[in-house]
Amino acid sequence: MFSLTPEEFIRSELKMVSPAIALAFLPLLLTLIIRYRYFFVLLYRAVLIRWVRDCLTGLSREERAFQYILTHATPGDVQSILDTFDHWCSKVEFISNIGPKKGKILDRLLQEHCPITVLELGTHCGYSTVRIARSLPIGARIYSVEMDEGNARVAEKIIRLAGFDEDMVELIVRPSDEVIPRLREDFGVERLDLVFMDHWKRCYLPDLQLLEGSGLLGEGSIILADNVIFPGAPNFLRHARSSGLYEVRVHRATLEYIRGIRDGMAELTFLGIK
Amino acid sequence: MPRHKLIASESDVSIEVDEGKDNEFSLYYVEVEENSKGGKEKQATRDGKRRRERNGEVSRRRASEKRSTEMGNKRAEKKHDKHHKTTRKEGEKDRKRPRRRNADEEEAEEESSKEKKNIKNERTKTVKLEDEKEKDVKKKRKKHVKNDEDDANPGKTKQKDCQEVALKEKKKKRRKPETTSESESHSESNSDAESKDNQAVGVLGSLTPEELEQLKEAVDERKKLITTLKGKPWPMKKKLVILRESQEFVEKYEGALGKGKGRKLYAYKVLMMKKWMKFQRDLENFKTACIPWEMKIKEIESHFGSSVASYFIFLRWMYGINMILFGLTFGLVMVPEALMGKPYGSMPRKTVPRVEEASAMNFAVLWDFGGYAKYSVLFYGYYNNQRAIGWLKFRMPLSYFLVGVGTVAYSYMVVIRTMARNANEEGGGDDTSFNFSWKTFTSWDYLIGNPETADNKFASITTSFKEAIVEEQESRKDDNIHLTRFLRVLANFLVLCCLAGSGYLIYFVVRRSQKFALEGLENYGWWERNEVNMVMSLLGMFCPMLFDVISTLENYHPRIALQWQLGRIFALFLGNLYTFIIALMDAIQLKRAEEEIVKKNMTIWQANLYNGTVPDNSTALPITVHPADVPRGPCWETMVGQEFVRLIISDTMTTYITLLIGDFLRAVLVRFLNNCWCWDLEYGFPSYSEFDVSGNVLGLIFNQGMIWMGAFYAPCLPALNLLRLHVSMYLQCWAVMCCNVPQERVFKASGSSNFYMAMLLVILFLSTLPAIYTIVSIPPSFDCGPFSGKNRMFDVIQETLETDFPAWFSKVFSYASNPGLVLSFLLLLVLAIYYLQSTSKTYKRVNMELKKKLQTQNEENKRKNKLAALKAANELEQAKKAGEQCSNSASDLGVNEESSSIDEAGHHRQAGQNGRLIHPSQSQDTQNSEPPVSSAHTTTRPPASRGHTASGHLPGHPQKNAHSNRR
Repeated sequence: MFSLTPEEFIRSELKMVSPAIALAFLPLLLTLIIRYRYFFVLLYRAVLIRWVRDCLTGLSREERAFQYILTHATPGDVQSILDTFDHWCSKVEFISNIGPKKGKILDRLLQEHCPITVLELGTHCGYSTVRIARSLPIGARIYSVEMDEGNARVAEKIIRLAGFDEDMVELIVRPSDEVIPRLREDFGVERLDLVFMDHWKRCYLPDLQLLEGSGLLGEGSIILADNVIFPGAPNFLRHARSSGLYEVRVHRATLEYIRGIRDGMAELTFLGIK
Repeated sequence: MPRHKLIASESDVSIEVDEGKDNEFSLYYVEVEENSKGGKEKQATRDGKRRRERNGEVSRRRASEKRSTEMGNKRAEKKHDKHHKTTRKEGEKDRKRPRRRNADEEEAEEESSKEKKNIKNERTKTVKLEDEKEKDVKKKRKKHVKNDEDDANPGKTKQKDCQEVALKEKKKKRRKPETTSESESHSESNSDAESKDNQAVGVLGSLTPEELEQLKEAVDERKKLITTLKGKPWPMKKKLVILRESQEFVEKYEGALGKGKGRKLYAYKVLMMKKWMKFQRDLENFKTACIPWEMKIKEIESHFGSSVASYFIFLRWMYGINMILFGLTFGLVMVPEALMGKPYGSMPRKTVPRVEEASAMNFAVLWDFGGYAKYSVLFYGYYNNQRAIGWLKFRMPLSYFLVGVGTVAYSYMVVIRTMARNANEEGGGDDTSFNFSWKTFTSWDYLIGNPETADNKFASITTSFKEAIVEEQESRKDDNIHLTRFLRVLANFLVLCCLAGSGYLIYFVVRRSQKFALEGLENYGWWERNEVNMVMSLLGMFCPMLFDVISTLENYHPRIALQWQLGRIFALFLGNLYTFIIALMDAIQLKRAEEEIVKKNMTIWQANLYNGTVPDNSTALPITVHPADVPRGPCWETMVGQEFVRLIISDTMTTYITLLIGDFLRAVLVRFLNNCWCWDLEYGFPSYSEFDVSGNVLGLIFNQGMIWMGAFYAPCLPALNLLRLHVSMYLQCWAVMCCNVPQERVFKASGSSNFYMAMLLVILFLSTLPAIYTIVSIPPSFDCGPFSGKNRMFDVIQETLETDFPAWFSKVFSYASNPGLVLSFLLLLVLAIYYLQSTSKTYKRVNMELKKKLQTQNEENKRKNKLAALKAANELEQAKKAGEQCSNSASDLGVNEESSSIDEAGHHRQAGQNGRLIHPSQSQDTQNSEPPVSSAHTTTRPPASRGHTASGHLPGHPQKNAHSNRR
């Protein structure tokens, strides 16, 4: 073996595994490609294009989105802003917003329950904030938590562009696990009617436990968690199902802006502590 | 209630219901046919009854003293003058009339004091009964207050209650407001007659034969109720409650109802019956426990639905067949040869050649089956062509040939028989017309016992409903059909491409392997030598996956999709197998060419041998050459057998490795990496694997095909296959339970079993073709195997005929094999088959027509029932109106229950009106069928309201049905 040059070694390797056997693996390859094509599409759109554009423009993805919206949407018109957002996300680049389809589920829930105090974890670009704020009754208030400052800046601009003021939307630029225990002291929140989770999937479970501990959840409070199937938050779901504190419903849908990947939103109704 | 118990008790009852009917029958016709009846049994029962009745009669006599004066007349009149009697005995209950008259008659015949002693004896016996009954009465009263049942049977028991209550505790009766005034007045009249009894005889005499009869009837009613309960339009809860109560009741009293002497016997009989039932049940359980792997399969069934379980059942079935094949080859070929044949090393064909000796014990022998394994009973070449071996004179070559033929014939027989049985079960007919009904009522898989699977099933049913609705809409719209068609065509095209590609790849590999074989396999590594098998296994593994992916284009129903998938995999496997066989044929030709050369060399070698040695000694062979050194032919039969064994082994290995890597490793990774992964592995991308039913079934089928093909040349194949099946049973059961998840679209496997069978049959046929071809057309090798030296393999038959059978037999055989005879026989066979086929077709058509007829009849019945219900409702309305009018007088009747003075005429009117008077011949029917009308108005109603039923009044006849309406 040691006497072989690398070239000879490779040739012997090639000889060892004959081309016919290698060809026999072709169907497997094809199968994998076809079966998981949506994941490849997602990889391409969410990672590769973003990387290329970042290099070309020197702006972050969120800023590019804002520029596009600024140039294409009507200021003050929420629907127009949302539509433009959807268009940009599906045709130009990819940002994991809640998307139009799951957004409709969200709208329906909001109409059914009419929450007064809403906590949103993970503002990102402000798409979901605008979407929630649109359907809230007068006097309701959203506390939107975002960790990243750049994103928060963009989100604030978009929220203002949509015409919502600070009374309606309170943007908090801090990590969620710091915010939740201090909500009562710093912001005077007594009870949360709706919590919308769309930040790091890993943080779903700890944040849920923090919320339980803070005592802000009352009977009938709703916790809506996006992306519980893909990328998925299994521990969160397991806890929600097993703890007995919630009535769990999973709304099945597909991942935003990509058709073939299954995803779901978990709707947890807090039953109260007995 | 456990299912077994329920069944047992039902069957118990169904036996005894008949008896009950018989009794009733005898009871009702005692009077009419008394003299004409010759049946001993009935006579006996009647006698018993009479005796019992006499008990009561004595006590009753005082009450009916005025009647006793008419005794003599009655005896004379009884045959003709029923009418008269009815009028005379109006105080009595209608249905008891015959019995009582009977008793009266007897009484008149023998009015002796001896009678009374008997009575006393029996009365003491019946006292116990009486106690029990009282308890029951109390219990029942509670029950009846609880649920007010409209049905006739409870009504009947209630009626019985009423009477007893009237007898003993009249106060309690008032507490039951639901008893109809009609029945009250009736029981009143009863009590009128029997209150005197009470006064006279006291409590002891209260268990009159009447009550016994009532009890008996109640028991019979219960039994009948139990049998007809299924068809009643009640909620399940009520049914269960009633069933349980009725069973308790029947159990309690049926033993007690026997005659004084026969009672013990009866109880013993019942006991034995129960024991027998229990024994049968235990036997059933034991039988189930004896079925191998039954529990395992049931468990899988409960987790994964019946489609996955059907695979395992198929596997088990296959195992059974292989067991028999193995028994044949092992017992009739391998063992005799090993025990009685010449030992290893005695002949060239039974010795490892000198060249291979160095590597004959290598580890590779285990999977290559070369070396010592090749020169053993495991392969064709080892067998000697000696006609009879051992002290048993065992005809080895003949046995070898017949076992080869027998295994195939047996397989054919089994497969075809199973197919025929399955075809019977299918029943024929297209039932696609009621798509949604089928979906609603039959889509649940009742064998599922796992909540997760049940969830999946639930989801799949809902989605299938949605899909079906969408389909229905789309079929009306009919706009997307072109796209679907296009997609289906495209999918088939892709699959065809895939098939062609895989075929070409195998062809290429086989050509290459031939090149390798020509150059000498020793120069190449393991990969090259096993390239064909590897490629075949890999393609067989991966192409189905590709097909599966492609089939999502087509958007078929999963059951149809499964069949397509099966068909495609079938085509793939078949192509692969046949490519392999063609390559093998080429190899056989090569070997035969080689053999010719060896034959020539052999003579030269022998000549050399003799040349070198003969001059010294001319008498015999002086030098014995060691058999390992003797040059020998290539023995193509062993080569074929070896190829098949290798194929089986590599196939098995691939299956197991795929199982371990694709399922187990994946499951482990998914489970344990899920905690530290950025997305959900369990629900998302890799997830757990599903059990691939179609692929596995086809793998099994083709595996079996290879066994059938190669078993003639390698007798060890069935044994190997048995081993493989055994291992894969356990391995796959384990793998399924531990690393697979239930299919997302769980569906039932119904109907696909015959599909598998058909495939198996095709494979059997296709695999016997090449085997038969080689046996018939290629001469066997000259120096190996049981047929060496013969021109063809089947010459062994002729040889046996000539030598082992008397001369006349072979003569007969030669006559019989005369082409004219054979042809005519074949013709006859064809004709017979044609005839049978056409008759079966006719039967099928007749079946279909019957089915249709049944359907239409059902519809008609439904319509009739609807009409009847409508009519009944109308009548009810009318009756209510009428009832309101007469309510005043009726309430009077109801309140004045204690005053036992109702004039006979009034009672007559009442009896005539409330009883549904039906001719005895009809009474049985009407009582069984229990028309909804009667149950509809058994509720509280004044007696005068029955105007409409009085039309068919035949006064003289026993009105059995009357009591079913009365409360």
